[in-house]
Amino acid sequence: MRATIISDKEFRTILYQNLENSTLNFLKGRGFDTEIIEIGREALNFCMGCFDCWVKKPGECIVNDLVSHINRRFIGSDAVIYLSPVVFGQFSANMKNAIDRWLPNMLPFFQQRPDGSTMHPSRYSYVPKLVIIGYGEDISDEDRQLFIDITEKHRRNVDVLIFDNPLNDVSKELSKIRLEKLEGKL
Amino acid sequence: MKKIVLIEASPKIGEGSTSGYLIKLAEKYLGSYGADKTLISVRQSLRKKNNDEDFESISNAEALIIAFPLYIYCLPGLLMRYLQDYLQYYKKKETASRHPRVYAVVNCGFPEPGINLEAVRVIRSFSRSIGAEFRFGVMIGKGGMVLNVKDAPFMKNKLDKVFESIAEDIFRGSKEEKQNIIIDLSFPRWLYFFMGNRNWFSLARKNGLRKKDLYRQPY
Repeated sequence: MRATIISDKEFRTILYQNLENSTLNFLKGRGFDTEIIEIGREALNFCMGCFDCWVKKPGECIVNDLVSHINRRFIGSDAVIYLSPVVFGQFSANMKNAIDRWLPNMLPFFQQRPDGSTMHPSRYSYVPKLVIIGYGEDISDEDRQLFIDITEKHRRNVDVLIFDNPLNDVSKELSKIRLEKLEGKL
Repeated sequence: MKKIVLIEASPKIGEGSTSGYLIKLAEKYLGSYGADKTLISVRQSLRKKNNDEDFESISNAEALIIAFPLYIYCLPGLLMRYLQDYLQYYKKKETASRHPRVYAVVNCGFPEPGINLEAVRVIRSFSRSIGAEFRFGVMIGKGGMVLNVKDAPFMKNKLDKVFESIAEDIFRGSKEEKQNIIIDLSFPRWLYFFMGNRNWFSLARKNGLRKKDLYRQPY
């Protein structure tokens, strides 16, 4: 079993360190071969919306930086846990760069979900279970709800957790989630 | 003269972008009111060694119009970086900033304009963080078509009305709460899907790929 933690090292707060350590310990305790990928300000280029990952080199970003490793590791994982500061109710810039450049893992075509909304289908038959952990010491109720809406409203294979205190027990929450690959329903 | 900053946040390089077109349209409408306009390209501003001058313009603005595409259901990383950096600048600033009115213009490739709602809410949250007054968002669906049909009357009329209402809101200084504006192009969804999907095959062929290559699984 393989797991990946993707985190933002721009905000090295106590809360961040605790969440990262607790998540790592939890996954190791469950027998996962776990890698932490910490993303700094200069680690990733911005997605430039060229769509070459769909029509030139399908499945791969043409920009050669850390994202090749992230996407390879992502697809090879049973579970992926994003640790993101909540900024304006959204993912932080570094985390959003990693998420934007996840585009190669999807197919370009439009498809309709059962609820009538539009989506791009997954390129892969099976995808890792996705857990998104948002954190911050001072998250307003509005930003908290917005973060949940952004992550849950448009995805079907995701669990969202939000922590605002270093004393919060991340292991307890993670233990409620089945961390195994799912059919590629995004 | 009212100071208005127009922020164009398309991450695209070297090709015409819908956000770029929309911001130019906003500029045109504001011009008829005699505004003092500053246009900032986020990509170019981020490339500068020091973009304090651009941040200074933003902090002195009486209105901000931010145009961007939806990336994975929210703001592109490029714009998040810029807004995060601006927040740091704003916090360090010793003199009080103005309290600008803020407008978000978001376009997405999906047909449903409502998918842009969370991105508009993020700009509202950003506005709160910098002591600004968020006014309303413009949510555009079928964004992939905008540049192709921009001169067709059904598109032009809709966009003209949008930017006219933003300009009016800025210059009248209205305090009334306004709803987000939805722009849903009257074009059959099934045909939009069909044309979109066909376009990917056509682009792939131009790159020497076959239809089945689009489904490659490199990992």
